[in-house]
Amino acid sequence: MSISELLSQYGDMYLQALFTTWKLTFLSFLAAFIIGIIVTVMRISPIRPLRFFGELYVHIFRNIPGVALLILFVYAFPYLNLVWSYYACVLTATSLIPASFCSEYLMSGINSIDLGQIEAARALGFSFMQIINKVIIPQALRFSVLPLTNLAVATLLTTALASQVPLKPTDLTGIVSYINTHAVGGITAFAISAALYLITALVIGQVGNYIDKKVRIER
Amino acid sequence: MNNAARTFRDVLYEKPGPKTRRLIAVFTVISVLLLALMLFFAIRSFYVNNQLNPKYWYFFTKATTWQFIGKGLAGTFEAAILAGIMAFIMGFAMMLGRISKFSAVSRLTIALIEFTRGVPTLLFIYFFFLIAPTMGLKLPSLLKISLPVAISASGVVAEVLRSGVNAVPKGQREAGLCIGMTEWMTFIKIVFPQGFRYVIPALISEIVIVVKDTTYAYVVSFPDLMQNARVLISNYDAMLSVYLVTAVIYILINYILNKIASFIEKKSSSGGFYGSRNRIKKYQ
Repeated sequence: MSISELLSQYGDMYLQALFTTWKLTFLSFLAAFIIGIIVTVMRISPIRPLRFFGELYVHIFRNIPGVALLILFVYAFPYLNLVWSYYACVLTATSLIPASFCSEYLMSGINSIDLGQIEAARALGFSFMQIINKVIIPQALRFSVLPLTNLAVATLLTTALASQVPLKPTDLTGIVSYINTHAVGGITAFAISAALYLITALVIGQVGNYIDKKVRIER
Repeated sequence: MNNAARTFRDVLYEKPGPKTRRLIAVFTVISVLLLALMLFFAIRSFYVNNQLNPKYWYFFTKATTWQFIGKGLAGTFEAAILAGIMAFIMGFAMMLGRISKFSAVSRLTIALIEFTRGVPTLLFIYFFFLIAPTMGLKLPSLLKISLPVAISASGVVAEVLRSGVNAVPKGQREAGLCIGMTEWMTFIKIVFPQGFRYVIPALISEIVIVVKDTTYAYVVSFPDLMQNARVLISNYDAMLSVYLVTAVIYILINYILNKIASFIEKKSSSGGFYGSRNRIKKYQ
């Protein structure tokens, strides 16, 4: 099937699939970022149980395969009377996993802050939350722009999980299997999806580089 | 405690005063209670929904169950190791292309690396599962899972290897050339072995990703851990317990791999594992 034929027949579906992937990526990244910050604050807090919980969270979600988590949500959780929509299952899985990586990046961002700054802040009488808000987070975020850019791309790739459940409209990966079961899309269907993923990833990379240049602290 | 070993955690709150200690104690108690409550509700929802029923768990005491899980694990390792080896070979080749003196080659390789890094593994799997057969490329199911996983890891491997090679001091290459070694000999015998050592932790982290990606083996019906878990489920009609145990096994495998990576990283940065690295730095 030629590319023009494919687009005339499935063009709208591709557009919807692209938006599904974008929307999933955006929402997951946002959620992952927020959860990542919360988990990171837990991990550096002086309260041991919270630290333990934060570390446990990271160890679990950094190491669990996406499919294993998604399958738990979709097929196993209904046995606990937790029935979520397919979309909610996918979104939860694609948020919780990148959140653990987000926390790891933020931790290494925090670790690159000069300890003298924290000592200085304490000497000035800053409270714990003040140190976190005014000294650590602004700098850690700056150091974390490039890792977070990679995280956004990783989140984009993780959203391919959506193709494993019957989602409507499906995502960019799901559409390839859809077209191949309904027609002989062949390599063209694959190429279009791959190109759209690639363009998205490159745009995310460019935006990340731009932000990094703007906010980087030169030492 | 020397300065390097101090982390921000130590600086953030050393020796809290009596007031802070009380506050921390209060919050500790509250958070313990909250966590206990969460655990309680989790177990309660298992109990209420009859998921603690022994019929969902007793077969984990049978040797045959674990034999079957072990077989699945062997499949997972087979696919992951094969994918890891292929990813390394492809990554090595791409790294060579990336640092090539010919700009056409290096540009082409950059495009290739971006392609493998910007496209999800599942899409590559669908390519070898759905599309390649229509073009006459029929692969065994082991390759149908290993090859796409390897392709999707190869770009990262290439970049990781390149960062290692770049970290090797220039003098090493110059010294090699000075004693009459060819450019290729210098690279293979002197530069690459050192660069490779720097990036062993990063490569192990990449193996974790490979192991995770092999869970898609069920798409191509290759008998890995996940696929065998499905068989167990249909045998014992126990969805939740089997999937939970499977997830925990995966988490443990990857946890151990990550621990090994950070252990090597710590050793090498303190100079214990590869003393040579520090020596190089000293003479620079």
